[in-house]
Amino acid sequence: MELLAFVVIGSVAIVSALGAILVKSPIHVMVWFLGFILSIAASFFALKADLLAGLQLVIYAVAIVVFYVLVITTIPWEKIKMFEGFYKKELIFALPAFFLTIGTVLYLVFNAKLSNMRQMLPKDNVSALGTVLFTKYIVPFELASFILLIAMIGAIIFGKEKANG
Amino acid sequence: MNDMIFTAIVIAVKILVVLAVTLGLGAYLTWYERKFAGHLQARRGPTVVGPFGLLQPLADGLKLMTKAPILPKGIDTKLYYMAIMMALVPAIMLFAVVPFGPSFKIMGHEVKPIVANLNIAILYVFAMGSMAAYGTLFAGWASNSKYAFIGSLRKAALIVSYEVVLGFAALSVILLAGSMNVFDIVDSQIKSGIWYIVYQPISFVLFLFCLLAESGRVPFDIQEAEAELVTGYNVEYGGMKFGIFPLAEWYLNVLALCAIATVLYFGGWSGPHIFGPFSGFIWFLVKTFGLLFFVLWVHWTLPRYQAKDVVEFAWKYLLPISIVNLVATAFFVYFKG
Repeated sequence: MELLAFVVIGSVAIVSALGAILVKSPIHVMVWFLGFILSIAASFFALKADLLAGLQLVIYAVAIVVFYVLVITTIPWEKIKMFEGFYKKELIFALPAFFLTIGTVLYLVFNAKLSNMRQMLPKDNVSALGTVLFTKYIVPFELASFILLIAMIGAIIFGKEKANG
Repeated sequence: MNDMIFTAIVIAVKILVVLAVTLGLGAYLTWYERKFAGHLQARRGPTVVGPFGLLQPLADGLKLMTKAPILPKGIDTKLYYMAIMMALVPAIMLFAVVPFGPSFKIMGHEVKPIVANLNIAILYVFAMGSMAAYGTLFAGWASNSKYAFIGSLRKAALIVSYEVVLGFAALSVILLAGSMNVFDIVDSQIKSGIWYIVYQPISFVLFLFCLLAESGRVPFDIQEAEAELVTGYNVEYGGMKFGIFPLAEWYLNVLALCAIATVLYFGGWSGPHIFGPFSGFIWFLVKTFGLLFFVLWVHWTLPRYQAKDVVEFAWKYLLPISIVNLVATAFFVYFKG
């Protein structure tokens, strides 16, 4: 049963990721991307990582994609001249990275030992994750929130400069 | 193996019952709303089709389905059709985490009247509640009409801001209950004997605001403001394609969010056992429909906010209030709990 769920969810994820790359219209890209995010959330559910799935849904599928859609839909695409050629320079840089990624993934698939998720995950995801986050990883957690705060202030300052000038 | 078959059958039955009940109820809520609005405005509402106009939803459905399908010019056909599903599916999915009553036993197995008893049910509600915005957003964009598009942009802005407030408002209840599981939340209210609305009146009012905003009800229905935008995002849809949008947004979404509000603030199915074995279910429905009644009442009495005020109201007033409320609750739980 679990294997079946994984195969279905995984193939949906792969197809929608491919769709997000290959489709031309920017809005359709967002729809495919949304499908991809949802299938990732589904795979978290299948692995019994409820909290991760919920956060994936709330943060990515709702907040971030809504912002993307909001921005993309307001751009008058018919007035923008789109690049219709072939990305040569980008391809030269992308190919090594592509093969490196494929190699790493293959190496991991054949050599790495995967931990048994079922045994490691506690029944109550939320409280377990909260406990670990606020005891063992409190310093990285606070640092990350501080960096995000700085980024937010920076974004506001940049936005103000544009608005004034 | 026997257990597995039993579980599969139970899940299938649950899904079928929830689907049938919610979709049927969604249709009949149109009748209820029209009757209610009629009496509120000293009219009589639908009376012609059937006794008390009870067959009116069926007649409406038939009328909508037999309309000529008209597609506007220059639309994005795929998205135009997909948006309908994108509006409907999250609204139905919301009912997956609604607990309709206490758990009971069938043939020695404990059965909980909920489709998916998730640990993170409340997070899931936030996600699905705002996922409905995609239906509105893409419907507005795909119809290639300025009215529709402005409506969908308004809806997106509204969802992004009220989602945050909703999260902080419900978080204070989660803090009190110590869990995001709907059964745990109700159980902790039954155990202490006090509904959370007593502890969290501010949070309940904020939740109510967000309920109205997320489901596009007056006074927050700026995305379909009839006076400025005709009917906003769904102006280019016709027939049953149009009918799905109000069904999903005004009825299913409101009903599900009212049920969740009942779980969070009114102790779910708790109440005196005066209806025999079904008293839990009946209490739950009574509370949910009480809230729904309130939503309809607000809808048919209040005027609409201006579009520019709605988002400002969320960020400048509701969000600070909800954060202060949350911090106060955290202190309360830390020192007293």
